[in-house]
Amino acid sequence: MAMSLGFVVGILGVVILSHAAYSTVQYRGLLKIMEEEFSGPPLTVVAELLLGLVFCMWAALTVPGTFLSIHPYSEENRIVSLPDNLDFMIFNHRARVFPVELDLKFKH
Amino acid sequence: MVSKTEETQLNRLENQVDNGGGGAWEYLCLVRKLKVRRSEKVLKYGLSILNDLKKRSSLGTEEWTLYEQVAIAAMDCQSLNVAKDCVRLLRKAFPESKRVGRLEAMLLEAKGSWAEAEKAYSSFLEENPLDQVIHKRRVAMAKAQGDTSGAIEWLNKYLEIFMADHDAWRELAEIYVSLQMYKQAAFCYEELILSQPTVPLHHLAYADVLYTLGGLENLQTAKKYYASVIDLTGGKNTRALFGINLCTSAIGQLAKGRNKEDKESLELQSLAATALEKDYKQRAPDKLSLLTTALKSLKVSS
Repeated sequence: MAMSLGFVVGILGVVILSHAAYSTVQYRGLLKIMEEEFSGPPLTVVAELLLGLVFCMWAALTVPGTFLSIHPYSEENRIVSLPDNLDFMIFNHRARVFPVELDLKFKH
Repeated sequence: MVSKTEETQLNRLENQVDNGGGGAWEYLCLVRKLKVRRSEKVLKYGLSILNDLKKRSSLGTEEWTLYEQVAIAAMDCQSLNVAKDCVRLLRKAFPESKRVGRLEAMLLEAKGSWAEAEKAYSSFLEENPLDQVIHKRRVAMAKAQGDTSGAIEWLNKYLEIFMADHDAWRELAEIYVSLQMYKQAAFCYEELILSQPTVPLHHLAYADVLYTLGGLENLQTAKKYYASVIDLTGGKNTRALFGINLCTSAIGQLAKGRNKEDKESLELQSLAATALEKDYKQRAPDKLSLLTTALKSLKVSS
């Protein structure tokens, strides 16, 4: 659900940004007709740009997934035991004297 | 490497499977992924999956991985009949495979026919002299026969070729520790710390070895490594906290004559002691009195 919400917001951001671009082009066309110098985009376009930036940024941070911890002591990264060295596993141990009391057999 | 989350997940799954809650296949996968040695359980639950035709066929090609896993677990539990059956079925499925050949040789090992296993391994090595697993099996075989010096010799030869194999370095370190050859073990742990600097357990083992060696300089280094373990684990390693206390009091005893008051180290000790007390209060309140007497005795001697 959160994923799709972020996605929609991202699309909205992109739409707003492209609308800002379109309005700027329109505005420049208008200026050309009125024969005025272009000094900067109108305030609404700037506001649109900022809004689009915020939306796109938020979507980019939420949609791809949650952040993973980089702290060495966080629960995901803290190493509590090393793997048993299975390559050096030896079979000459107490199981030889105390075999497992399980009646295990292949049925096929 | 088994992180804290993976450990809790493993314990939870193990509990669930033990109580008949299902999820045996996920448990076996996790055991394989984390490389932990739970042979008895792997044998029990793996075999129950393999004997269930429906479950087994739903695994697809993963079935053969499970056969291999169960075969090794069966060897570890000395259920040689099961192991033999597994290896036989694998051989039937993969008549040319070297991996199955390795399993057959391991089966010989489990039976205790060392000479035959040795012969099988040397013939494998003749074909492919750089097969790491076979080299490691030879080391393990020497160890299983009680020939520790032979195992050390093999391992050293192996490490000359495969210097980056940290599992082998760890094995060598553990063998040296078991023989009380701490200087050599310290060297191995230094290698391990170099190759995996973020694993706190190597730092811890190195500090343990240095503490055991003794001497002022070693103790001071050991304390630094215990401190780095605390840094890496966020103070959640009880052994490192105890290590700091022990090192400080041992250093205090040795440096008594010089009487160089090191305020910083005393502060470190009291911080470690507080952390320990807090931890005990939270997890084992009834053992708190034992801890306080132990800490007091350490402080008196320093």
